[in-house]
Parts: sequence; C-alpha cells; structure tokens
Amino acid sequence: MNLFNLLIDHINQIGAIALFIIGLYTVITHNHLIKRVFGINIMGTAVFLFFVSIGYVKEGVVPIYGNEEAVYVNPLPSVLILTGIVVVVSITVYALGLVVKIYEGYGTLDQVEISEKMSEAMRDD
Amino acid sequence: MIEQIPLINLLILVTTALFMPLIRKFDFRYTKVLGLVSFLAVFILSIISFYDVYTNGMFYYHLGGHAPFIGIEFRIDAFSSFFTLFIGFMMLLYYIYAVRYMFHEIKGKQHNRYYTIVFLLVFASFGLIYTNDLFNTYVFIEIMSITACAIISIVRKKQNYSAAFRYLVLNEIGSLSYLFGVALIYMITGYTNIELVAQALEEGYLLYPANVFIAMAFMVVGLSIKAAIFPLHIWLPDAHSTAPIPSHAILSAVVLKVNLIVLIKLLYRVFGVQILLDLHMNTVLIVLGILSMIMGSFFALAQKDIKRILAYSSVAQVGYIVLGIGFLTELGLYAGLFHIVSHGIMKSTLFLSAGMIIYHTGVRNTKKYQGFVHILPITITLMSIATLSMIGIPGTSGFISKFNLAMASLDENMGYIIIFIVLSGLLNAMYYLPMIITSILDNHESNMMHYEVDKIPKTMLIPVMVLGALILVIGFYPQSITFFIEAATDALIGGV
Repeated sequence: MNLFNLLIDHINQIGAIALFIIGLYTVITHNHLIKRVFGINIMGTAVFLFFVSIGYVKEGVVPIYGNEEAVYVNPLPSVLILTGIVVVVSITVYALGLVVKIYEGYGTLDQVEISEKMSEAMRDD
Repeated sequence: MIEQIPLINLLILVTTALFMPLIRKFDFRYTKVLGLVSFLAVFILSIISFYDVYTNGMFYYHLGGHAPFIGIEFRIDAFSSFFTLFIGFMMLLYYIYAVRYMFHEIKGKQHNRYYTIVFLLVFASFGLIYTNDLFNTYVFIEIMSITACAIISIVRKKQNYSAAFRYLVLNEIGSLSYLFGVALIYMITGYTNIELVAQALEEGYLLYPANVFIAMAFMVVGLSIKAAIFPLHIWLPDAHSTAPIPSHAILSAVVLKVNLIVLIKLLYRVFGVQILLDLHMNTVLIVLGILSMIMGSFFALAQKDIKRILAYSSVAQVGYIVLGIGFLTELGLYAGLFHIVSHGIMKSTLFLSAGMIIYHTGVRNTKKYQGFVHILPITITLMSIATLSMIGIPGTSGFISKFNLAMASLDENMGYIIIFIVLSGLLNAMYYLPMIITSILDNHESNMMHYEVDKIPKTMLIPVMVLGALILVIGFYPQSITFFIEAATDALIGGV
C-alpha cells in the first residue's frame, strides 16, 4: 500500500522519466529520420512535464495577485518552459527542413541506406 | 558605460546578424565592411572590458535590474572577459579569412545568410560565457546548436544535410539532458542562478545526494556529447569534415571550446570541488580524457582526407583539456584553460592553411601533397609550425600545454599519466608528419606544372600568419599569456 501511495504521489515524475526513456529509445534505435524527430519531441515533452510539475503545489491556485488567502502555484517553471517549448519547436522545424533536403538528395529516409550511399561516395573520391 | 559592455557586445552581434540579410541587395562591399566593423568593435570592447576587470575587479550585471533569483545575471570576471576576448580575436581573424574563402564554397546571396548565422553563433557563445544562470545557459546552448548545424548545412550538398541532421539530433539529446539536470537542481534548490544554487547545494547535497548525483550525470553527459568527449564523439567526424573550412575552424575552436567552458563552469562553480571529489568525478574525467587522447589519434591514423584527420585530431585535443579539468586542482585547471587557448590557435593555423591548399589546388588527400612546398611555400611553412606544435616540439605552444599537463599530473602524484601524454604526442607525430614530409621532401616535378597557382590573396594569408606567429610567441615566451590564464583560473577557483 505504501508503494502504491508513493507511485500515486510521484506519478508526474515517473511519467516524465518514462516519456524521456521512450523518446531516447526512439531516437537511438529507429533508422527512420522522421521518427527520430518524433523521438526528440517526446524527450522534450518529458523534460517540460518534469520541470512544470516541480512548480505544482497541491490545491494551489493560479498565481494572480489579489487572492491573498490562497496558496499559489510556483509560476517560474512554467515561464521557463514557455521558452523551452519555443526552442524545441524551432529545432523541429529546422530538422524537418533538413529531412526534406535529405530526401531530395538520397531518395530515402532510412539512416542505414543513407550511410551506405555516403560511404560509397567517399570510396569513389 | 563600462559595466554595460557585455550587453553592448551582445547587441552589436545580434543587430549585425539582423542587418546582414537586409543589405544583401546592395554590393557585397557593404557586407564585408559591416561584418569587419562589428567584429572589430566587439574585439576592442572586450579588451576594454578585460582591462577594466583587471583594474577594478569583477562585477555582476543584472538584466533589466531584476534581483538575481528572478532575473538573469551576467558575471563579468577575469575568466569570462578573457575568453570573450579570445573568441572575439579568433572570430576577427576567421572573418577576414572567410570573406574571401567562402566564394569557393557558396555563391551569391547565400553569403549574407552565412554571416547572419555566424554572428548569431558568436552571440550565443558570448552569452554562454557571460551568463551566470543555468536556464539562460540552456537557451544560449540551443541557439548555438542550431547555428552550429546551420553553418554546416549552408553548403548545398546532400552529405552536408545528412551530417547536419545527425549533429542536430545528438546535440538535441545533449541539450535536453542538460535541461533535465537543471530541472533536478531546481527541484532541490529552487534557484537557477549559479551562485545561489552553489550555496544551496552545500546543504542540499547532504539531504538529497541521489538527486545531485543524477543531475550531475545528466548534465555532464549532455555537455560531453556537445564537446565530443571520446565515446560520444561519433557525430564529429562527419559534421566537421563536410563543413566548409571557416565553419570547420569555428566549430572546432569556438563551439567545442565554449561547450567545454560551460562544462568547466558547471563543475567548478555549481557543484564545487568537494562534491565532485565525493562522487569520484576526477577519476571519471581523467579516464575519459586519456581515452579521448589515445583513441582520437588512433582513428586519425587511418584517414587520408586532411579534413577528417583534423576532425579526429580535435577529439584527441579535447581529451587533453578534459584531462586537465579532471585533476580538480588549480594546476590542472590552469593546464586545461591554457590548452583551450593553445589548441584554438594551433588548430586554426592548420585549418586555415589546409583551406588555402584546398582553395588553390582542390586537393584534400594528404598523399597527393607531393612537392607542394614549391607551389605554396608560405602555407606549407605555417602548416609545419602548427604540426610541430600539435606534436609538442619545444619552442611551440603545444609543448607548453603538454608541459603544464605533465606538471599537473606530477602534482597529483599520478606521474604515469605522462606516459599517455607522450604516447599521444607520438601518435600525433605519426599522422601529421607524413603529410609535411610528403609536401617538402617528395618532389614531384609534374605537380608543379599541374597546378596553376595565382597569387595567394592577402586577406587569407595575413590571419594565418598572425596565428602562426602566435604559436611561436607563446612557445618561446609563455609568460605572454600565462598572466591571463592565471587570472582566469583564480576567478574560477577563488570566486566561489
């Protein structure tokens, strides 16, 4: 029962770590380039979830000044993560742009095939 | 006025980046002048800033006047002002070189795009050095990782796109691991400001040792990917060797080094020597450093392409710096910081002279360098100086670096590390010397007819000559820069 309560209390952190591992696994094991971009996005979401959940206070309210009785949620992590989201979006856009160009050049999105074609080109030099 | 200099530097860089695409309709002359003026301004302001820190001591700059625990804080001390000065100086030389060289790689309106990206990259690296805030570091790191990939993919070839994509993916794993570490630290301390975090961690480490350990693991691994420390260097050879020469020099002498500087700041300022010793980080870093030194050189042995040799050699040289940092003593840190400067200078000489060879003859295979000393005498001379320095011949800056590292390892009673330093020097000799021997001794008559060489452009020659002269100056008079490095070391160790 104790373990169960522990799990329930830290469900956001456990979820974040699980997502992080799923993302990392996707990036490392998949050869498909777009799936790698997905993996990065999942990893990013995991970190953001973790960061935001640090600032959460049980039964806290939105930190708008005026409601003096209430307990506020810590706004700083949310503010920081807004920046983080923007950054990951721009990374995704750039990565997808590169994927389009790679597909135009090699005609495939599979990392293994691309590596083979690259090493062939190097041998020809 | 003087305390505003860091912000003025950043603003100059970012506004130049903004104006670059706007003036691309006009003559290329304007672009050249704009870039040169702003790099010169940044360089001069950095000198003034360093002089001011030297006479009046370090100070903090609060962006927007907010208190450190809610706002962003810049710390301007001997460490940050010296390394911004160094990067400003190197970028000025690269820019003078690149303006001519890049015509060889890209054409037309792309030049302005290229310089936009370069200025944003320098902006990010200045920010990373100045900032005293963990989250702000993350933002600058991301700007740097996008721009570092973009200076590779600026050349429109498919292998560049592929290399840039791989670099981007690994960079991103690194940045997100770093951010995870920041989250864990924020969880314990409730701050992102480096000094407040360091104070809170003294107590926090006793209460939550596991959190601190995991945070450190995430952050160190993340930054090791970016700094290409041995097992995590796999992105580097492709990314660096496909990049055009000026980008290659920037990637190796600025991007790798700034990531190492962030790592140094993290280890010494945030965690502090006591916690690191407690978690045996010194052993980890020393082993990683030695592995990088040896393995990087081994991989380089198998290469023929000059750019791939130089790329693998960067892995080896990063190993020296990590080894220096890893001693966790003042002497070790001093040796590491010295090698950041010395490697930056000698590697740039090699890159830029290799670039001149590619510019004139198009040859990248070092086996075909026969008799090049007759065609490009000055280039090969400079390249030989840099090569001797990489091997560590006395009278060059590379020797002083190795000497410092050896002193640091003797000081820690780990004299056996000197064996690895010497071994790595021998391996360096094995892959650098053949190239020089071929170009000087192997006189191939037909080659001299084969390549029509015009006069070398002065704007390309002068930066390399300045760098080559600096190698010798540092080699014979190491006092000329030891003063700066000592000030930087004091600022790091004594500051906390």
